[in-house]
Amino acid sequence: MSAFTIEKVKKTFSNGEIEEEILKGVNLSLKEGEITALIGPSGSGKSTILTIAAGLQRASCGEILFEGSDMTKMSQEEVRHVRATDFGFVFQSSHLVPFLTVEEQLQLMLDVAETKTSKKEQAKAIDEMLKLVEMQHRKDAYPSSLSGGERQRVAIARALIHHPKILFADEPTASLDTKRSKGVMELLRELTRTLHLTTLMVTHDEEMLSYVDRVITMRDGYIVE
Amino acid sequence: MKIAWKEMKKSKAKFLILGSIIFLVSFLTFIISGLANGLSQDNAALIKDLPDGQFYLSKDADSTYNLSKIDEEIQKQILMDNPNATAFSVQMGFVNDAEDKQHSVAFVASTESGLFENVKDGEIVLDSSLKENGIEVGDVLTNNQFSGEFIVKGFVDQQKYSHAPVAFIGMTNYQEIYRVMEMQTIFIPGEEAPTLSALDSFSNKEFLNAIPSYSAEQMSLNMIVWFLVIISGMLFAIFFYMMNVQKIGLYGILKAIGMRTISLFKMIWYQMLVITAISLALSITLSKAFSFVAPEGMPFHLTMDTVWMLSAVFMAVGFIGATISGIQVKNIEPLQAIQQGEM
Ligand SMILES: Nc1ncnc2c1ncn2[C@@H]1O[C@H](COP(=O)(O)OP(=O)(O)O)[C@@H](O)[C@H]1O
Ligand SMILES: [Mg+2]
Repeated sequence: MSAFTIEKVKKTFSNGEIEEEILKGVNLSLKEGEITALIGPSGSGKSTILTIAAGLQRASCGEILFEGSDMTKMSQEEVRHVRATDFGFVFQSSHLVPFLTVEEQLQLMLDVAETKTSKKEQAKAIDEMLKLVEMQHRKDAYPSSLSGGERQRVAIARALIHHPKILFADEPTASLDTKRSKGVMELLRELTRTLHLTTLMVTHDEEMLSYVDRVITMRDGYIVE
Repeated sequence: MKIAWKEMKKSKAKFLILGSIIFLVSFLTFIISGLANGLSQDNAALIKDLPDGQFYLSKDADSTYNLSKIDEEIQKQILMDNPNATAFSVQMGFVNDAEDKQHSVAFVASTESGLFENVKDGEIVLDSSLKENGIEVGDVLTNNQFSGEFIVKGFVDQQKYSHAPVAFIGMTNYQEIYRVMEMQTIFIPGEEAPTLSALDSFSNKEFLNAIPSYSAEQMSLNMIVWFLVIISGMLFAIFFYMMNVQKIGLYGILKAIGMRTISLFKMIWYQMLVITAISLALSITLSKAFSFVAPEGMPFHLTMDTVWMLSAVFMAVGFIGATISGIQVKNIEPLQAIQQGEM
């Protein structure tokens, strides 16, 4: 059984008079412990399907099944709750909070996810997570003093500290050079396996595909496999 | 609210600017309301310090106390019916000291009561501000309309009327100086003052406002105070609005990772609260200090009641301002931020 299923999702944007169908019926299912990569030409709708799946925008029609419930039928607040507790996000740029240290970024995520464990346990979990992404030595640093690769590793740590079930990543390596990109991909693959994550990522870098379990190609709002 | 505090620490300059503006505005507000209160004290302490009650003027005086003349028969009857009542008159005038220097005073004469100084004819009790002009107990004062002399019997604190020090004199002396037999006003203290068909009656507040210049003076100063309060509220709204615009990306990300909108509001409120509290504490301290260094002639009187009241208003106005600016935060879509790229 798959952990996350997208069925017949369509998305239409209207720019004034003109209605444009960007997603024309997308079916997709993700499996636990696997990284699924979405590739395809720019403008084919990859980011759109990813953000719809992640509950950051609504589908025009179709179903998104997560743990047996249809997310398209949930209220704003219910979707927010799913995002806070069950999803993790990594974006093209790290989007860290500029005035928080590395450690505090992760603490903030735990607070947002309303993690119930004691502060001491949380501190330990943060420590371990930072060890996993090899950023422990920079835990008191602010984002402005980190390199692009380091920021992205912190962003991954933030995306995973609250033990989400699904990880969404939109071109997480786009701002990095090849060497750092490979580092990040290795990390994503390893964490997906060890933490039993279900990962959906968008990439347009062919070189990164060797790190993923499944590749899905999109073109003009369709999946073409 | 660690995140709110961390942000303030990281962008000190921004918050320091907002804090200094709020400080300056609230300081100015305190100073002006201290001045308003001081002037009102200077203008009408004589009346303001009376207990709550009812003032009566003759009907033909048309609410102007110095045109009022209370019929002696009526006065006698009222004073008999109301043992606490007093009939009194106030008129501006002058006294001359031994060196023939003229001092402007407000002469007050009253029937015997516990409400005003009771002074025998030939004696005078003065507001203590006249001490600074070299007048001492035992001095002999004169008035050009008065055949006799006044011996200074003593001084009282804070008895001012129409910005002049009060001079309490005996009734007969008063009648001689102003050539009237009737008193201007009757005052009956207490909640249940009777309605007297022969006279117009006024509450303390109404009577104060009938003092020439009193209401005009108070109104213009109070208007300044409220304008300053409104300005500070708008400052909060505008300042937080501008900061929020800069932070749309940040708010979007926080919403994307699942932060509640109310938490973002709490962040804004917390920052507003901290800034206002610090600014107010500073301006309260300084305006209290100001009351000690204010020049002697400057009537400055800032009560703690006023301070707390205005502080509460500042807090409320800051809260409203910050909340209004937060409405845009409510409408931020997480996606906007993600598409905006690196902050
Ligand atoms: N909010 C929007 N309003 C209108 N058009 C949009 C919006 N978001 C995306 N699009 C359009 O949808 C198409 C697909 O975009 P996107 O999913 O970002 O493509 P990809 O990530 O594959 O490059 C593009 O043509 C883009 O212009
Ligand atoms: Mg894209």
